[in-house]
Amino acid sequence: MAQFRLNGSKMLAVDLAGETIKALNGAMVAYDGQMSFKRQGMTGGEGLRGALKRRIAGEGMTLMEVSGQGTVFLASEATEVTLVRLNGDTLFVESESLLALDAGLRTGVHFVGLRGMGTGQGLATTKVEGSGTAAIVSDGPAIALEVSPSEPLCVDPHAYVGHLGQLQQDVVTDVNWRTVLGQGSGESVQFRYQGHGLVYVQPAERGGILEI
Amino acid sequence: MSTPTFTAATLPSNDNVNPYAFSVDLNGRWFAQKGKMIAYYGRIRFEALSAGPLDALVAASFHSPLYAQDWIVAEGQGKLLLADRGFDVNSFDLDEGNLTIRAGNLLAFEPGLELKQSIIPGFLTLIGTGRFVAASNGPVHFVEPPIRVDPQALLGWADCPSPCHHYDHSYMRGVLGAARMVFGVGGTSGEEHQFDFTGEGTVLMQSSEAVMSDDVMLRDLEGQIGMVGTSGLQRLQQSISQRLSAERQ
Repeated sequence: MAQFRLNGSKMLAVDLAGETIKALNGAMVAYDGQMSFKRQGMTGGEGLRGALKRRIAGEGMTLMEVSGQGTVFLASEATEVTLVRLNGDTLFVESESLLALDAGLRTGVHFVGLRGMGTGQGLATTKVEGSGTAAIVSDGPAIALEVSPSEPLCVDPHAYVGHLGQLQQDVVTDVNWRTVLGQGSGESVQFRYQGHGLVYVQPAERGGILEI
Repeated sequence: MSTPTFTAATLPSNDNVNPYAFSVDLNGRWFAQKGKMIAYYGRIRFEALSAGPLDALVAASFHSPLYAQDWIVAEGQGKLLLADRGFDVNSFDLDEGNLTIRAGNLLAFEPGLELKQSIIPGFLTLIGTGRFVAASNGPVHFVEPPIRVDPQALLGWADCPSPCHHYDHSYMRGVLGAARMVFGVGGTSGEEHQFDFTGEGTVLMQSSEAVMSDDVMLRDLEGQIGMVGTSGLQRLQQSISQRLSAERQ
């Protein structure tokens, strides 16, 4: 297994002994040993159908395959790196938040429908399945918030990074005539999570298409 | 190292989660700046200040029509997480005190505090007893007057008299200085204007000069137009059109 570890909070180090990992295209900042970097083909390892779905969803993602002997250092625009270990779970994350993953993990597109509108996220999100480690990046250190059936969680769509586990996601809206007049609360749209799992949030807010 | 995981019970109560996020243990009402909530557990509602049931609260604690549209009231019970652009977030307690802070950096405050507009444009003053949360780009430094600080690095001040402007003398000297006074152009070091603090108290500074790029300053100026008479307005119009034509060249 490739060893994922943090080298400081903003850089990921992966020790490889002949294995292959997938990483965000262009995220390599340094390596020692023998490494080869190969851009993934047109389909990004998701098959023709998967690539088509990704194209339709506009959930663009370019990954490269890194393999070799030694240590490779990965980073993306000084964003904070969080390691997520998957044991047959499914991680939902925005494609731009994905830094690297074990070769054993499969990626795919998950359609989320209209809830992505207005949050700058588009209609789809990326799904990571399997067993292994994934590294995600966030603007400021990510905070993991646990959700249990007795404790649902609401999240600002702009601060959402990803979620993991058996979670049901719905959109809570509190839009009233004041929102229309521009006198809204500024927190009129939230994601609510119910079930069992973890939600990752970041201490900064992305700009959305719609300000509501 | 793994990411710390929190539940509603293990989130800190009115304390920082990490240097960039603050957890409010809400039981009642808090004022918060719009858009700074990142997540919450429990039953919490967010209301604009214009909402009817909040009238008494707003009348008692919020005295700034200029900023009313930037603020909301969080109401209910639960844990509320606040953060701002990945800036450092800190909470401060006031005990029958007063503190003035840059408007864009104040994230939230308890209704025990009263919010008023400061004489200095773009700053808000909190008076009373209670806790508030503020953001700063980099850690906060506490310094004591007498001191001159860069306007952009100034976060706020407590207990001391409001600052006055300080300009370097050389800024006004010679031909270039005269040209600057008329046209506002010419080579400068960018450090000829400071805020000058004197007296007893504490001055709060952030460790960078990044301030929220918003139109607070502009709105403040607009708010003051009401105090200007007709002749003053004409003069303003003149200087504005002069500046505009200088910009176009």
